[in-house]
This record gives sequence, structure tokens and C-alpha cells, in this order.
Amino acid sequence: DATVADSVAFQDQVAHLFSEWCQICDHPNASDAAYSRYVMQLQHIGLLKGDEFTERFFRILTELAVAHSVVSEQINAPGGLSQQSSHISYFPIDSYSKLVSVVIKNCSVEIGPNKGSLLPKILSVTIRVIQKDAEEKKASFNPRPYFRLFINWLNDLSTSELHHDGANFQVLAAFANAFHVLQPSRIPSMSFAWLELVSHRTFMARLLTGNSQKGWPFFQRLLIDLFKFMEPYLRTADLLEPVHLMYKGTMRVLLVLLHDFPEFLCDYHFSFCDVIPSSCIQMRNVILSAFPRNMRLPDPSTPNLKIDLLAEISLPPRIMSDVDGALKLKHMKVDVDEYLKRPEGSSFLNDLKQKLLLPQNEANVAGTRYNVPLMNSLVLYIGIQAVQQLQANKANASASAQQINHNTMDIFQIETATEFFRYLVTNLDTEGRYLFLNAIANQLRYPNSHTHYFSFIILYLFAEAAQEHIQEQVTRVLLERLIVNRPHPWGLLITFIELIKNPRYNFWNRAFTHCAPEIKQLFESVAKSCGGGAG
Amino acid sequence: VVSGHDHLYNLQMLEAAYHRLPQPKDSERAKTYIPRHPSVTPASYPQIQAPIVTNPAFWERLGSDTLSTDMLFFAFYYQQNSYQQYLAAKELKKQSWRFHRKYNTWFQRHVEPQVTTDEYERGSYVYFDFHLADDGNGWCQRIKNDFTFEYNFLEDELSV
Repeated sequence: DATVADSVAFQDQVAHLFSEWCQICDHPNASDAAYSRYVMQLQHIGLLKGDEFTERFFRILTELAVAHSVVSEQINAPGGLSQQSSHISYFPIDSYSKLVSVVIKNCSVEIGPNKGSLLPKILSVTIRVIQKDAEEKKASFNPRPYFRLFINWLNDLSTSELHHDGANFQVLAAFANAFHVLQPSRIPSMSFAWLELVSHRTFMARLLTGNSQKGWPFFQRLLIDLFKFMEPYLRTADLLEPVHLMYKGTMRVLLVLLHDFPEFLCDYHFSFCDVIPSSCIQMRNVILSAFPRNMRLPDPSTPNLKIDLLAEISLPPRIMSDVDGALKLKHMKVDVDEYLKRPEGSSFLNDLKQKLLLPQNEANVAGTRYNVPLMNSLVLYIGIQAVQQLQANKANASASAQQINHNTMDIFQIETATEFFRYLVTNLDTEGRYLFLNAIANQLRYPNSHTHYFSFIILYLFAEAAQEHIQEQVTRVLLERLIVNRPHPWGLLITFIELIKNPRYNFWNRAFTHCAPEIKQLFESVAKSCGGGAG
Repeated sequence: VVSGHDHLYNLQMLEAAYHRLPQPKDSERAKTYIPRHPSVTPASYPQIQAPIVTNPAFWERLGSDTLSTDMLFFAFYYQQNSYQQYLAAKELKKQSWRFHRKYNTWFQRHVEPQVTTDEYERGSYVYFDFHLADDGNGWCQRIKNDFTFEYNFLEDELSV
């Protein structure tokens, strides 16, 4: 009976009901009682049961409200050129969103399998209307009525009061799911409105505050949606005006997060680095500069700063991202564990280079020959294993009252992990090595055991490198993250300062530090701002 | 790949979206008062609303000055659904003005009420007449003797 329900008669009935509602809203003495009476009438007609009729009812209402709000006017410019200009009338949209708010506050579906709030149902109807509208209208799709609709709902249905925590979370999660479906890759013509919605104060701040951080994975998923959409345009660095505006908006959202929710960026830094192209140095720096608010970072330029003596340096950072997900996806986790346990006679390292490459068709899409998430996963997973091993060794050592070595991290206790890093830096080609060193540098953040370990590893790789082009590439990865505007991650600064100040690395005698006058000048100015002179 | 479209299509749609950017007013509540003839003022005049009008301390200052009470009423009646309206109402309540929901009018006891029960109080009140007549009358405080203020018309909570 789809034909019956969609019949002209039903359409007319809904149109009539809507204009009746608009009159109630427009009345100067509109009262809660009048609103409730109207909703009871809808219930009585059987339109709020949560079944197919409910869906059709709200679909037609959405279409009516949007159609009435877009008032197109033909402007005839001189020279016979006519331009479509659209003006939004808010009243139909505001009336419709009010109806939904009143319905949701007044009734829940109680019959059958649809038990619960009508909100998810109405949101899924809205999503389908948007998808259809965007698909049909393509470049002439107008996202503004939908944008206002969502803003009104967020204003009315989500609250910042903490004692409504539970119910509020249900509402925010429903919106987060809807925004995920409407992500820019799926509805690109709604990108700007989408970015403003997900970062709106009635959504982002509320999703990330309270609810014992249950909202964090939802917001992480939305940020990943955003980065994935931006990736192909940022990678090629061909910033057309619209892309540039999206980029600027993204940076502003990240800066708000860095200021208000740094722990959120800390917890998920790994998954963000998987999807941000390596050319977006500043964007990545903003994420990697986040540190827990209760922490005080020592000034990296303090003379004779000994990072080994900081209490935080033995604590692991909290990581909420799926570190070994990419390894499992490629069925490599067992091999890695096996190799770390019994490295002798293992062919793991020999086969690894091949496994890190993408198949040709995927490489074309990704814009790199390498599987970057797999590289990131491998580097961090092995690092974490090494840190755990080191701490276990240290605990044993102090238990048996042997020497306690504060000043050096004896990485030869964990030879296998060290050998893994040394092997890859030597045997990968330039592109692979660049991505590999980036994966290491992504862990140089606030004082914690990972920062400490990877800082040590990258300096070790520099010191032990047999060829100067490896040292040059290590320097490039560190330097390019420092010559951009602030913020700079603490661990990155610490590592670079150690590299240029400690005579052990013989930094200033390397050919690449004075291959060209402007490079030489650059090194000197960075060295000066880092507090370490060219020795 | 999540995307259902290719990058070129996405880029074209992004360009289209660029020409239909959400406007600041799209995410603001509808204002009852819209200037009918907005005009350009010299650049030396302030071009944006001073941020101080959303600062509660500013409204407290207005509230502590009896000469500014009219300003509070103006904000209350002509800046509807705004944060300023909320702050103005808060200050009026502090000055012992009580809002009557049936008459949408603020009342203040002129003298102690003659009768007080659980449901109402009766006595002499000062109220703010917000109606503006064409002859220029109104928008002033008036006295109402022998008025019964029923408590169920009393606006109790200020909700944000």
C-alpha cells in the first residue's frame, strides 16, 4: 500500500496538517498547551506509531519545510545574464523543527519492535531526504535549510546540564551517527555545513564533556571522516579556494580541540596520523603537541636538561586508537610476535619490505607505494613491546639490587627491536624510509615512555648510520617539523636539540648541513631558536 | 574506500557548496526585530555589537542603577530569545520585579500586600506598561491598586 500512502490524498493531508501547525506557531499567544493538543491530534490520527506511516509523514513534512524555505529569485544582471540567487526563509524550517522537538519531548514509541525514542527514526528519514535531494540536484543542492534544521534540533534537544548526562548522550550519539552517514565523502555538496555542524558548540563541546568520555570515539570517527575527505586534495597541495577554506576550518577546529580537549587529541593521535597526509606538517604538529592538562613540560631549551630524570618519562601515554589493527588486517601480528620472541633464523625482516608495499591499484588511489597505516602500526607496536621489555628488565635489575642505570637506556637489552629499526632504515628506499622515520617522529610528543624510547631510537639511527643520506633524511624529518609555525611537539624539540648539541653526533660536520648557503642559514637560525649554537 | 564518488566529482560538489556557505544567521534563533532599512554607517562608528552586552557583569552594573531599569525592560521586550533578555530578566528579578505570565508584565510590590494566601496576594503594585500607544503614551511605570497577583501566573524559574 505504498501507493496508497504516497497518494495525493495523503500528501494533501500532510500539507494541510503542516499549514495548521505553522499557524499555531505563528500565533502570538502560542502556548505549550496548544502544542501538546496538536501532537495529541497527530497521535490520535495514528501518525506517531513509529511505523511506515510515521516515516512517510515526516519525510513529506521535511520536503515541504525545505521547499517552502528556499525562495529562489531570478536576478537579471545587465547583459542578459541571469543568476540564481536563493534566499532562505527560516519560518517553515523553524516550525517543522519545533514540531519534531515537541513530538520527541511529548511521546515515545511504545508499540512493537520500534520501542524507544522517535529521534533515530526521524534522523534516518532526514538523512534519506538529504541523500535524495543532493543526488538529484547535484551542484544546485542547497544545504542551508538542512543546516538550520540540525542546528535547531541541537539547540532544543541537547543540553549542557550534567544531570541529564545519560539521556543527553543518547541524543548526541544519534546525531553523531547521522553526521557520520552525511560525511563529506558521501554528501560533498554539504561539506561546509557539515563541518560547522560537527564543530558547533551545542554538539562538539557537549559530546566531549561528561558522559565519562563515551562520546569520544564518536567524535574521533567524525574527525577521521573529515581527514579522509581532505586527504587527496591536501596531498597534492593543490589548494583551490574551497579546499583552502575547508582546510582553514579544519585547523580552527583542531586548535579549539588543542585548547579545550587536549587529552582527546592525545588519546587518538595515532589514528589521526594514519589519515593525515605526510605533507600536512602543521596540522599533524597541532595534534602531536597536545599534552594532558595536569602536566607541566620543562622548557626544552633549559641547559643540561636531563630527560631521563623526569618522573613522567617512565609512564606510557594513554592510547585509545587501535594500534595493531593494521597488523591484524594483514595477518602479520603473529609473525611480529614470533619474530620478537625468536629472531634467530627468522625470514621476517627479509619479507617485510615486500609486505609494506601496496598493490598497484591501491597505490594509485593512496598516492604512495607504501601501506602507511601498516608502517605506523608496525613501528608503534614494536616500540611498545620494546618499552615493556625494558621496564621489565629494569624492574628485575633493581629487584636483584644490581646496577641501576639512569643515564642511558640500554637498548641492547632489547636487541631484536633495535635490529628491526636499524634494518628498515638501511634497507628501505627513500620514500619508504621517509614514511618510516615519520612513523617514529609521530611518537615524539610530551614526556612519556614512548617519547623517550623513540627519541633514543631516532638518535641511535642517526649515530649508527653507515651512509650520510640516512642522516640527511633523519635530519629532514625532524627539521621540516620545526621550520613550520608553532606549536612544536616537546619531544621533537628535545630530540633535535640533542642532535645538534651533543658532539657525539658530529652534526655540524656533515656535508648536508652546509650543502647550500640558504640551508646553512636555515640550520643556524633553527639552532639559535632551539638554544643550541652551531658547534 | 568510504567514498561513493570519485575525487573529481567531490571537488565539483565542494565548489558548489562553496557558493552556498552556511551564513552566521542560519545558526541563530529567529529575531523578532529585524531592521527594515539597514544603512551603512561611517567606519569610525562601531560596526559590530559590543561583546560587553553578553557579559553578566555589565548587566549587573545596569541592575544596580535604578535609572537603568528602563534599559532592562527594553532588553527584555525587544531582544527576545537572546542571552541579553535572560540577563535582563535576572537583574529585574534581583530588584524584586516579578513577571506575570498572563499579562506578560513585570510587577513590583508598591507596599506590603494587604492579603497573602497560598494562592495569591493582593495589594498595591507598580507595574511596567510596555505597550506603546500611537500618541506616545505608555512605556512607563504605573501604579495598580487593589491588584490580585495569582501565584500560578508567577514566572518562577529562569531557564536558559
